[in-house]
Amino acid sequence: MTPTARAAREWAIRCSRTSGQGHLPSSFSIIELALSAYAVMRHDPEAPRWPERDLFILSKGHAALGYYCVLAQLGYFPPADVERFGAYQSAFGCHPDRLKVPGVEASCGSLGHGIGIAVGMALGLRIRGSARRVFVLVGDGEANEGSLWEAVMVASDRRLANLTILYDHNRSQVRCLQIPNPTERFVAFGCATAEVDGHDDASLVAALRQPADTVKVVVGRTVKGYGCASMEENFFEWHRKSPSAEVCEALLSELHAKAV
Amino acid sequence: MRKQFRDTVTELAEADERVVLVFGDISVFLFEPFARRFPTRFYNLGICENTLVSVAAGLASQGFIPFVHTIAPFVTERCLEQIKIDVSYNRFPINIVTCGATYDYAWDGPTHQALADMGALRLVPGIDIVQPGTREETDQLLRARYNSGTPTYFRLSDHSHGVSLPVAFGRGAVVRDSGGPVTVITAGPILANVLPAVEALPVNVIYFSTIKPLDGELLSAYAHTRLVVAHDATGLFEEVCAHAAGPVARIGLPDRFVSCYGTIHDIRREIGLDPEHIRQVVTELLPLR
Repeated sequence: MTPTARAAREWAIRCSRTSGQGHLPSSFSIIELALSAYAVMRHDPEAPRWPERDLFILSKGHAALGYYCVLAQLGYFPPADVERFGAYQSAFGCHPDRLKVPGVEASCGSLGHGIGIAVGMALGLRIRGSARRVFVLVGDGEANEGSLWEAVMVASDRRLANLTILYDHNRSQVRCLQIPNPTERFVAFGCATAEVDGHDDASLVAALRQPADTVKVVVGRTVKGYGCASMEENFFEWHRKSPSAEVCEALLSELHAKAV
Repeated sequence: MRKQFRDTVTELAEADERVVLVFGDISVFLFEPFARRFPTRFYNLGICENTLVSVAAGLASQGFIPFVHTIAPFVTERCLEQIKIDVSYNRFPINIVTCGATYDYAWDGPTHQALADMGALRLVPGIDIVQPGTREETDQLLRARYNSGTPTYFRLSDHSHGVSLPVAFGRGAVVRDSGGPVTVITAGPILANVLPAVEALPVNVIYFSTIKPLDGELLSAYAHTRLVVAHDATGLFEEVCAHAAGPVARIGLPDRFVSCYGTIHDIRREIGLDPEHIRQVVTELLPLR
């Protein structure tokens, strides 16, 4: 785990503790996926609306806490801003609002929506002849939604090479509708698809940099609660849970043990 | 009205390069000239209405003015959440232009009837709802509001009421002011049945081509009369009730599926939206002389 990824997770644990809000396991599975996307994107944290920026959309909006902590690490806003996560009149809700949080390009929360918006953004940029690109992070639970596959079909049919889908294969649906072979499915849908360790920054960045002549999908094999052994083992229990003071310290110890 | 949509949007697209069309494999033949003329601004994406709306929202985010078009129930009742979240909450303004209003496709049965479209969309914050009743109203309202910055639902029909009325977005029109004690409130093509229904009766008729925001000023001018909404759709009655101080009578859609097939005229007769039944209800509302 890189120091940046560890710092993002540490801050997410602390904010979850102070705010009483959760979604930590899902937040932890996306950290490297999001950081890797920003590593290859053209963006400027000092100028979040820079007209030449690439676009990132967190379609699985419930991983907002992890995403906010990534944006804070990148310098979009001070980490302290996230402490009032989900609190009354905070800009930082449990699902991100593009009109409130610098760097957020689309307000997402209900699953299967952000990817369709991302397809429209990519189509619009192509109409303009722009070199800007669109990155959209979706979850495997979200892939239960038919609208996700509609959007993938359209993106593939239109050969949107300026669109990259990051797929968080964190096996969140083992108790209902788990898609066991997402890579095969995306290939069948006509996408340029790569599958890598979703917590290995170098592999992710290499996959994201691979050229493609159509929509690209990077399937990241991830672990819910990655970095904290107790959450990895009991991610259903942790889905929306906020840690007590005592458990918070235990999670931080686990996180640092993993980092060493 | 669909041909008018094509003609108007073609002119708008010539003058405004932000105009992009997103279709769900409906009216494509009609728009072939548009597609040939503006190949990068016409997208028949497929029979995937959820995605049509989401993609249009994404296009709007990049400064385009998208028109999503397909049959009314498919792109409103199916896609209510895409309209609510992707378009309205995100403030990515698009235009939704539909055909197949209420019972236009009577012969197709309830799967092709738009019943909840305007009634449901009026509950989504920040959306304008327009129901033209003629080609002229379609043309003027599209021109006036296509780039309003507010998501707008244009509900077109294959039928026209054939009356030339003053048209302005957000404004109703007085069709008939008899100074009578009853006022019939209506919208869209059904005006064609309301006018013969009230002939020679001491009844006023006011007409709205904008359902939301409703022209409350016009409504309040008739607040002292007995109000009755005659409408073959949802939305208008609810808007009128939200504005009116007193009770409002209704001649409208029944709480059942109307699966008798036939034509729109057969269905209107079946559910009491024909001139004879409207006249009967209105007459009963008139005070005894």
